[in-house]
Amino acid sequence: MSLWKLALLIALFNLMTFGNGPVMIPLLQTHLVEGTRVLSQDQLLYAFTIARVTPGQANFYVASIGYMLYGMPGAIVATLAIILPGYIMIPLLHGFEHLRDSRWIEGFTKGLTVTSVGLILAAVVQIARGTLTQPVAWLVLIAMLVMTQLLKWKTFVALAAVSCLGLLLKWLL
Amino acid sequence: MDANSSVGLELLNHFYQSRLTVERAAPIAEGGNRLKRSEDKEKRSREQGTRLTRGELFWIFLKAGFAFGGGLGILAVLEDELVDKRLAVTKEEFLTIYGIGRIVPSGTMTALAVAYGYKFGGLSGTVITLAALSLPVFVLTIALTIAYHYLRNSRVFDLLPVTIMPAALALIVVAALKLGKDVFRPSRELIFAGVAFSFALFLRLNPAFILLAGGVLGAFALRRIDVEDRAKKKGSEK
Repeated sequence: MSLWKLALLIALFNLMTFGNGPVMIPLLQTHLVEGTRVLSQDQLLYAFTIARVTPGQANFYVASIGYMLYGMPGAIVATLAIILPGYIMIPLLHGFEHLRDSRWIEGFTKGLTVTSVGLILAAVVQIARGTLTQPVAWLVLIAMLVMTQLLKWKTFVALAAVSCLGLLLKWLL
Repeated sequence: MDANSSVGLELLNHFYQSRLTVERAAPIAEGGNRLKRSEDKEKRSREQGTRLTRGELFWIFLKAGFAFGGGLGILAVLEDELVDKRLAVTKEEFLTIYGIGRIVPSGTMTALAVAYGYKFGGLSGTVITLAALSLPVFVLTIALTIAYHYLRNSRVFDLLPVTIMPAALALIVVAALKLGKDVFRPSRELIFAGVAFSFALFLRLNPAFILLAGGVLGAFALRRIDVEDRAKKKGSEK
């Protein structure tokens, strides 16, 4: 896959998902990990983790993917691919009145969002088959869910805690 | 007039309700305070539509770029700076621009950076705001990616499958849960998500097609009906 094809794919996925970071995961999984195999499963997961612990826009983890595949030029091209569609804002600012009010666009994004919930969960199942090969990994996954959802810990703290837990269990078992 | 104000109210509601659940963005104190000092006296006399200098634009968006919590974290900083502190944008205008930003097919915050950059500095203003907003996340992302390359050549790499990788998977699940609060109760949304799940997992259809189909069908089936119709419908349901 050439750099330009990667840029085109990222630009396309970003447009389709309205720039929503998590929603791009199933698309990237299918096209970069399973389809063309240019990216390993671990790389995609690591990139997504970066998105969860950094400030700022949540779809910037594509810069990480760009960097993994093509170094700094890849990172910059990937970033431009998700930033440039933002300029659609300028014409919209001048003639938005009817568009902003559009129930159709609202319904479209709603449909997109709820569909993506199913797609993301399907991607999770697929990724889990390849990634969670050890029982310890399952325990870490469950611990992470509990810490972030039930205990409401900060992502970074929970990440550090489950990493320690994983290492400890691995060492014990 | 009526339609506009109801959309405005809905956005306002949406914004503040979500904001309650998201922690307030961590501000970087130095950037904002220094600029704020000189303004207090002028504040009263200022009219709507104050101009912002390029330096101010840069600082505001850099500060926003350091905000955690994704879009809403950034939005909170922008509102604080543009509406409350600098009085550069009225609340109504802020909500309108946010509403338009949501229908732009890129990140909403990216679209807001373009909007305010353009409003206060023309096309070159957009370069300033986009660069400032993206700088923190870009630098940190690249730094952490480089860290991955180092990990890869060390023995620590063998430990990732029991640490970061399953945790990342959990984070993806959490992201999905956050997206669809409507999805997890009997509703049309649940059908959309369920069908998408099985088509992707069992029929192995390309998720891109499923996603587009979901959007198009959503435009018909999940379109918000006008307020009165909706109220009527709710009444008949109960």
